[in-house]
Amino acid sequence: MKKKRFDPEKTIYAVVAIACFFVLWWFLTTFTPVKNTTPDPIAVLKLLFESFYTPIGSKVITGHLLVSLRRVLVGFGVATVLGIILGIAMGTSKWASAIFKPIFELLRPIPPIAWISLVILFFGIGETSKYILCGIGAFTNVTLNAYTGAQNVDPELVGCARMLGTSERDIFFRVVLPSCTPQIFAGMQVALSTSWMAVLAAEMVGAQEGCGWMIQRGSDTLNITLVMVGMIVIGLVGMLLATLMRAIERRLCSWNIMEG
Amino acid sequence: MEHHGGVNKTPIISLDHVSKTYLSVHKTNEVVRDVSLDVQENEFVVLFGPGQCGKTTLINLIAGLQLPTSGEVKVDGKTVTAPGPDRGVVYQTTALFPFCTVMGNVEFGPKSRGVPKKQRRERAQYFIDLVGLQGFEKSFPNRLSGGMRQRVGIARAYANDPKVMLMDEPFGHLDAQTRYMMEEELEKIWQKEKRTVVFVTNNSEEAVYLADRIIILTNTPTRIKHEIKVDLPRPRVYSDPAFLEIRRQIEEICDDTL
Repeated sequence: MKKKRFDPEKTIYAVVAIACFFVLWWFLTTFTPVKNTTPDPIAVLKLLFESFYTPIGSKVITGHLLVSLRRVLVGFGVATVLGIILGIAMGTSKWASAIFKPIFELLRPIPPIAWISLVILFFGIGETSKYILCGIGAFTNVTLNAYTGAQNVDPELVGCARMLGTSERDIFFRVVLPSCTPQIFAGMQVALSTSWMAVLAAEMVGAQEGCGWMIQRGSDTLNITLVMVGMIVIGLVGMLLATLMRAIERRLCSWNIMEG
Repeated sequence: MEHHGGVNKTPIISLDHVSKTYLSVHKTNEVVRDVSLDVQENEFVVLFGPGQCGKTTLINLIAGLQLPTSGEVKVDGKTVTAPGPDRGVVYQTTALFPFCTVMGNVEFGPKSRGVPKKQRRERAQYFIDLVGLQGFEKSFPNRLSGGMRQRVGIARAYANDPKVMLMDEPFGHLDAQTRYMMEEELEKIWQKEKRTVVFVTNNSEEAVYLADRIIILTNTPTRIKHEIKVDLPRPRVYSDPAFLEIRRQIEEICDDTL
């Protein structure tokens, strides 16, 4: 039952791989023509550390990060709840599926970026627009996965719960919902990265703070180092969030994980 | 101790001229034709029939998961119209809740019916011990072997305290050795906690080992072909000449069915 948490071999590979990446980057930006356009890793890391105490625009880097993080988490959180409700409704009720599925299928392929102008038109350039844009990206992914999950609930389990005298309400909370959980988590993983994508896009248009604004600012002032600092921060935080999600998933869906 | 369809007793399960026909646009598929059957309290009845006959349909009709096209199914004097906790089902596929631990599965029924936590835990623990799974209370089904999963299925059905137990080829998916072990185990459990059981199988050895009465069914549309009472003392011995004689009888009856 006990899982191996720490694998020294894997950790060594990871460290070596990242080190190789930085060495290659440094090599390219020191000895090849790439150096004329691209800053070397040392310059980027220097600016990264400086930005912890020297504000860029109105805030230091952690400030920008928190602003983006809040936008992502609010949009993603609200969208996840709504997506689960709609997805399971479509997966379990023929009526809900008949009404919402066509609309949903039509809206699904439209990427969140395509919504920017319309959302700004309706909600202005304030925080609401940012939340909505993050939410749109998350919503479609979560809804679709919850829908698939709800459709694939084993009818024998539902019948079995009925035989045991379980009420329809309890069947929803104790059979349908837990059956969908792994699928919902798969959707949430994708949704989280889509939300990040959406927040950056939203912040590049009409924002005064946030990671997206930082990158845009770097681009406007031809400060490629700043652009790369923004990219690194986003990469790190994205990785952390995905790891956190996986940890939660492991806790909630331990029943679904096979040995090995 | 055993009731062999006594005349003066009211049956706990009664099927009265039950038929089941599936209708679709192009054809009708008659699965069960005019089956009448009474099962007495604490009787172990085995429905024995060839592979694709309507055995599972019969179980579903008693369970209330399907309704008869004509005729009536009664359990404990009440007409069956829907699934309900007075009938416990043990499935061939086990149908355990994969997201519940062994304890979670066994106490699922009592929890649904609002039995207080302490009481249902004690009860669930009793049946977990009875099926020999103590120490596995916190395991999830995907960590258990096929035989252990089916033990959970049996404990889950028992813990909900049903009037009758319906077992649909519960050992059908198990390998031969585990199957013998589970048959012995079920016999012991049933001796200790007597219930009315309707057990479906297509294995004559299993039928003779477990049954008070064997109902031999025909191919679809399923009718009752023959009925054999098994009066051998329990626990039975697979190689006992009397045991083998009953198996031979069953096979003879089935041969001219096909």
